[in-house]
Parts: sequence; structure tokens; C-alpha cells
Amino acid sequence: MMYGIKRTARYLLGTDIAGRQIAVRPDDTFIVSYPRSGNTWTRFLMANLLFPDQPVSFVNIERLIPDAEALSSRYMKRIPSPRVIKTHQYFDHRYPKVLYITRDPRDVVLSYYNFARKFRHIADDYPLELFVRGVVNGTLFSTAWGTWAENVGTWVAARNGRPTFLLLRYEDLMADTPAELAKAARFFGVDASPEKLSRAIENSSADRMRELEKKAGDEWVANKNRRSDIPMVGSAVAGKWKSVLPDAAVAEIESAWGNIMTQLGYDLVTRTNR
Amino acid sequence: MNQIPMNQTSTIKRLITATKRVLGHANPGRYFEVFDDDTFIVSFPKSGNTWTRFLIANLLHPEEPANFGNIDRLIPESEGLTRNQLARVPRPRIMKSHEYFDARFRKVVYIVRDPRDVAVSQFHFFRKKRRIGDDHSIEQFVTRFVAGQTCDYGSWGENVASWLVARQNSPGFLLLRYEDMVARTGVELTRVASFLGVQATPDLVAQAVERSSADRMRKLEGAKATASVTQNTRQDIPFVRAAGSGGWKTDLPEKSALELETAWAPLMKWLGYGPSLVRTPAANEARIKVPAPGAPAR
Repeated sequence: MMYGIKRTARYLLGTDIAGRQIAVRPDDTFIVSYPRSGNTWTRFLMANLLFPDQPVSFVNIERLIPDAEALSSRYMKRIPSPRVIKTHQYFDHRYPKVLYITRDPRDVVLSYYNFARKFRHIADDYPLELFVRGVVNGTLFSTAWGTWAENVGTWVAARNGRPTFLLLRYEDLMADTPAELAKAARFFGVDASPEKLSRAIENSSADRMRELEKKAGDEWVANKNRRSDIPMVGSAVAGKWKSVLPDAAVAEIESAWGNIMTQLGYDLVTRTNR
Repeated sequence: MNQIPMNQTSTIKRLITATKRVLGHANPGRYFEVFDDDTFIVSFPKSGNTWTRFLIANLLHPEEPANFGNIDRLIPESEGLTRNQLARVPRPRIMKSHEYFDARFRKVVYIVRDPRDVAVSQFHFFRKKRRIGDDHSIEQFVTRFVAGQTCDYGSWGENVASWLVARQNSPGFLLLRYEDMVARTGVELTRVASFLGVQATPDLVAQAVERSSADRMRKLEGAKATASVTQNTRQDIPFVRAAGSGGWKTDLPEKSALELETAWAPLMKWLGYGPSLVRTPAANEARIKVPAPGAPAR
């Protein structure tokens, strides 16, 4: 029997996507989140903090903090240690050190809706309610990243409270960026003077990132073959769901994930009888 | 991307692996192909997985009593098989796994066991497998056990918590406590049967329980010990060992019990594995937080 000649050839050449099978090194640090939770922003913040002499852009971000799910295993191998790597994986016990970013799932699905259109996963007229149901049930996308609750829950349940795990909320990062970034800096063991922090924040602002995406976004691996009329950098606000997300969709999310949401400080608005 | 030449050994290694892969002889390990109609019997190692496999195999195949020679065919071990072997398993497949949470597993029977007993059991199993020598102390072992360094399936807490938090309330998830299975095997096996959608008459259940008893499994191990779990291991230490619960109370030094209880106090408490000697400080209560479970299991 012959299996996956193409995939094997890719493996042989080292051009297979690293993804979940990435070879982990003991000194790796991972920036992990469910998709659309502020991962790219955090990457920019950290890259600006860790590499202050190189202005971070969509052109060099994959060299500074590579995306294991977009790059080949050979590329990942060539990144010098200690590496800082971005992924969207649910719990993987091999990751030695993890900065995990979580975001209110009611905002996540909204952002994801736009993003799925950008990726041409769904058409422009795909109903939002149907989309939310698909995301909640995990039927709309592959199981690669688990559902939001599986992704967040497994990491938090397995690692929260350990010195090798830092949990940041997107909402806190928005509300008080310097304080939250200082936490991340301490976690990474980098010197973070107020000047350095504010420069990193300035260089990673939503406006600046929008500008950078306009300039060179199409060179970025994550934007390849995607619709360019929908930007990667979204509205970058917290709480948009309150005005945009239909009540039924809110109720569906809260009844499925309410338990974990409450634990993370995302107050529920629907009364459930569970 | 500019190409960097790889060194020769790595190229040769890759060539060998690639050839094996193309021919289907490679063991894909954790990354094997999962189908939507698969069912998995999952647990951290040494938590009663083999016993559960025997119980289910004997229930599903009354015409072919399970033994250590045929169990790998009746309920194969997903990580132990090559791609060719996996392709030959008839669907829908029921397979054994020790993985921590894997989102691709849609239907899961998860067995959990008191980690104090698990640690003692794994200690003896590793001596049997010659992974540790007779001079390795159980205290040393437990410290590594708590850190999740004794095997490649996460720590006990990571394994259990990741499954519970993700799937606790899902209809495709059945949680079994090893201790309940020991106390009332028939009742628990009947729960498994209805979860699997299998017709199980009381007679059939009783027969499966009888055919999977510890005594019988010990006999079977003595007669034919060639399952993957017992291959190339010391014969003076049995695979089917105490087969009970609470053995840690005599076998585990106080210091080690304390270490385990401190590491996983909230999770253990939630599962009904109460602390024995530890007055857990409040700070440790917050160490592992399991957000999902809303109500106690039972």
C-alpha cells in the first residue's frame, strides 16, 4: 500500500507545515490563543518589545515570532533558539512555556465571521446565526483548534497557576495595555522600562497595524490567497457583540460555554436554567 | 526562502522515515487519522484501561473470549499501530488511547483513577518494563510523576483536567471511575454498553465481568503474555497487579501522598479522591483550576 506520496515528499523536503507536529525545544515560548483573540496584536507587542531595533511589520513578523501553523517544519528548524512561536493549538503538554490570550467568545465569533468571509470559508450572505451555531457546535471548521471552550478550557485547566503559564485577557490588554504588557515582559524575562513599553505599544497600535497591513499585508503568509477587501486587523474593540450579536446567538454561546466564560470573568447576560 | 543544506545523518533519517511512511510501515503515533465514527477508551496510563478493554471486548465478542493474545486485535491501541495496521481495523473502530485531550475524538469513554494508586501502579509497571531500576525510590518517582515527566501523556492532572473541562457535559463523553468499576463492575459495564449503543442482557454483562476478572486476567497473563502492554518486560513483576483501589495507603510514603495531594487537590476532591493527611493550604487550592464541571460527578 502506498500512502500520501505528496505529503511524504513534502516531509522529505521539510516543506510540510509544522503545525501540531512541530518539534518543540525545551527553551521555546509559545504565544497561544483561539483564533481572533488578539494573537497578532500580542505578537506585534512582544516582537516590538523583544526586538526593539527592528521595526516590526507583516513582512518580518514571521521571522521574529513565527506562526507554526503557516510555516514549514524546515523554516521552524532554522529559527535560532530561544524561539517565540505563535500557534492556535489547544492543550499540548510538550509546550514548556505558554502565554495564553483569551477573549470574550461573543466578540470572537463576530470577528471570526468577518475573517471566515475573508478566507472564503463562507459567502458574504451566510447568516450570522447559522455561523454562530456552527462555531459553537464545532461543525463549521475542522477540529484542528478545538472549539473556543476546548481551546481555552484545556489550557487553563491543565496549566493555570503554574509559573510557566501566563493567562492574559484581551479585554484587560485593551483597557490597560502597559500594565498587561509589563506582566508579559516579566514572564518573558525582558527588561521593560516604561519608555520601552510605551514604544512597543505605540508601534503596535491598531492604527499602525492597519497602515502596515495596507502597505505590505499581501506579502504576509497569513494573507496569501485571501480576500484583500476584508482586512486582517479588525475593529480592535471589546464588547462589540452587545450591539451587533443577535440575542439568540448570545444565548447559544452562553448556554454552551457559560461555565468557562464565568470563570474567566465574562459575565453572562442570558439566564440559563442549567 | 533560501535553502540550507541539512546534515547527512538527518537526511538519511528522513529518507528512512519517508520510505516507511510511503509504505505505511510508519507508526503515526499521536497523529494517526481519526474518523468521526471512532470510539476511544481513554485514560491516563495505569488507570484500568486494559481491564476496561477486556470488559468491552468480552461484551462485544461473546464468541471469542478476550486474552492477551487477541486483545490488540479486538480493541487495538491507536498509538501502537502502523498506518497499514490501522487501515485494516474494521469500522466503526473502538480503540484504546492514553492521550490527553484530542479534539478529533468524538466519542470517548474516559476512565479516571485515584492518582495515588496510579502513581504506585506506574512505579511497579516501570520496574517491570525496566524503565527504572530496583534502586529507584518511589519518592523520586512520585516527584517526577507530579511534574508529568514519567510518560508522554501529560501529567495525571493535565490528562484528566483537559478531558473533563472540554467534554464533561458532552453526550459523546462517558466518565468512569476505576473505583466504581471495582465496587460494582456490572452496573458500570451496563452504563458503558448503553453509551456504546450495545444490547447488553444481564447474562451477557455477567459473563463479560466474569471473563475479565482479575483472577482470570492473571491466569491469562501467565498463559500467554504477548500483548503490546506486556511485550519484552520483566516476568517476575506481573502486569495485572493488585487490581484494587486504595493500595496507596500502605504502599505510598506519607511524603509522596502529600506531594500528589498538594499538586491536584481541587481536581482530586472534585473526583471524590479525598485528601488523607493534607490540610491543603488555600494557595494550593488555586493551582489547578478546572472551570467546566459545574456539579460534582456524583
